[in-house]
Amino acid sequence: MTAGGIAVSRPADRVRRRRNLAFAVAKYAFLGFWALLCLLPMILIFSTAFKDPTIETGNPFQLFSSVRFENLVDAWTLGNFGRYFMNTIVIMVPVVLGVVALSMLTGYALARFAFPGRSLLFFGFVLGLMIPFFSLMIPLYYNLRDYGLLDNPLAVILPSIAGAGGTGLPLGIFLMRAFFLDMPDELADAARVDGCDELGVFTKVMAPLALPGASALAVLAFMSAWNTFLLPLLYLSGEDSRTLATGLLLFTGGRTQELELTAAGTLIMIAPVVLFFLLFQRQFIRGLTAGAVKG
Amino acid sequence: MTGSVASVSAGAFERITRRRGRVRGRRQTSWALVALFVGPSLALYVLFMIVPFIGTLQLSLSAWDGFAPEKTPVGLANYQALLGDEDFWRALSNNVVWAVIGTAAPIAIGLALAIVLWSGAGFRTGFRAIYFLPVILPVVVIGLVWGWIYNPLFGVLNTALEAVGLDDWSRGWLGDPDTALVAVLIAAIWSTFGFCVVMFLAGLQGIDLNLVDAAKVDGANAWQRFRHVLLPGIAPVFTFVLTITLVGAFSVFDIVYVMTRGGPGTATETMAGYAYKMAFNRNFAGYGSAISMVIAIISLVLAVALLRFRERGRTR
Repeated sequence: MTAGGIAVSRPADRVRRRRNLAFAVAKYAFLGFWALLCLLPMILIFSTAFKDPTIETGNPFQLFSSVRFENLVDAWTLGNFGRYFMNTIVIMVPVVLGVVALSMLTGYALARFAFPGRSLLFFGFVLGLMIPFFSLMIPLYYNLRDYGLLDNPLAVILPSIAGAGGTGLPLGIFLMRAFFLDMPDELADAARVDGCDELGVFTKVMAPLALPGASALAVLAFMSAWNTFLLPLLYLSGEDSRTLATGLLLFTGGRTQELELTAAGTLIMIAPVVLFFLLFQRQFIRGLTAGAVKG
Repeated sequence: MTGSVASVSAGAFERITRRRGRVRGRRQTSWALVALFVGPSLALYVLFMIVPFIGTLQLSLSAWDGFAPEKTPVGLANYQALLGDEDFWRALSNNVVWAVIGTAAPIAIGLALAIVLWSGAGFRTGFRAIYFLPVILPVVVIGLVWGWIYNPLFGVLNTALEAVGLDDWSRGWLGDPDTALVAVLIAAIWSTFGFCVVMFLAGLQGIDLNLVDAAKVDGANAWQRFRHVLLPGIAPVFTFVLTITLVGAFSVFDIVYVMTRGGPGTATETMAGYAYKMAFNRNFAGYGSAISMVIAIISLVLAVALLRFRERGRTR
């Protein structure tokens, strides 16, 4: 009886195994196709960035037809990407520090302080998540002009922290408040018993515990400040204050002149972002999915 | 020793008497401390978000070239002019096309990839990282690279078409009014579907696997399992992604500006690009602000509607 059962099931097993194999091939072909589609443009940047313009004559997009590493140096100096890089750092660092520090302070206050108007204040900040930049950009230009800030890095830094372009206080306060709400009261109480005042409870106990959340926020703020485009386009129009994003804009539109310098400049711009993402993937995805999954 | 016991029991008592995060029954924090923690954020937020937002509302009711000392109040004249402005309607309809295709395509691709990854595939985190790479790229870079791909002479797309004998199809994809919008949209979809993969995968990972097994035991086929187990399980993520992409579609600017500047003609013009042009190239600050207000109103209405929808889904 049992022997017969095995004998009967054998061909069926083989069919099932073959079907499973076909299924696996189809699955990885599907996953691989989209992965390749994501990678190809990156490979194109990489290959073009190292082309030797003196020996290239044919199709400028032929993959890896020549290699010249000095392109990176040329882009940094001749192509002005060194200056663009520094201008971008000057904006990115204060934005990241500002967003993280202020979001921690205000998120903490909205989660754990007792004062009238607290919910209203939280609602007001979160409203900022729904205000598109385009409904600020025109008056903001004239406001900044009146403050004498046009063409000053502060014209991008301050609105970025406030949340006008990408990750700023509205998202940061939302995330950090949720983080502080999840912390047990006992910790704060224990610190109070040990003689901490409210400021000490925050700086010595709660803020250090919130560092995982803060680092997720920092990664988001870094990406958004590094890539920000419209703010510097509008408010930092001077040749000397261009960032990587607006500097690179000069080379867009499918132009094929000085292609290898453009590609090398692109590489200079995306290298820190890609590196950062690969290193801090977990924090990044945690920050991104924090609000959405729980609902 | 006794102190810490007392504090623990006090904490426990407090937890019973009030919900976490609720302030009732606790002594009010001193205003000095509140000002220290909230003041700087509030100052920046008001100065660089609230004030300009109100400014847009005011400007949209005025005629102003950006330089004259006085803004002339004109009531709703800017909005009335919008109704008869063909270029504005063209921009709005481009935004609608963008909202439909630019939302449906990345969600469909992202959902399919997330489900395949979730149902068991090797290198899951590797695939996820690769799909996410385009999402982190600066828009300028996306526009630049896709400009190369669409290059009429040497572009990868035309070269590939010629290689398979479809020479007739090759063209200047961004220069042809018939294809420009779709060409830009494809670049945008390329740069957003990875976001959908990551979000949906996070949602799927929160689903109780016993539910899926139970459905299988009960004889539910793949479609029924998707429809009645997976989809409800990821509903919060789904509405979140839908809200972000749909609302974003009505304020799309960067990628269009980088790739076509709204051209050829008005073929790829969007409301945001049109507002930019009106305000900063032609110095119609009032008219541009009216367009900005339309964007803000559409965004707010959509966001609130989708959030309400989500709330209703959760209580049911």
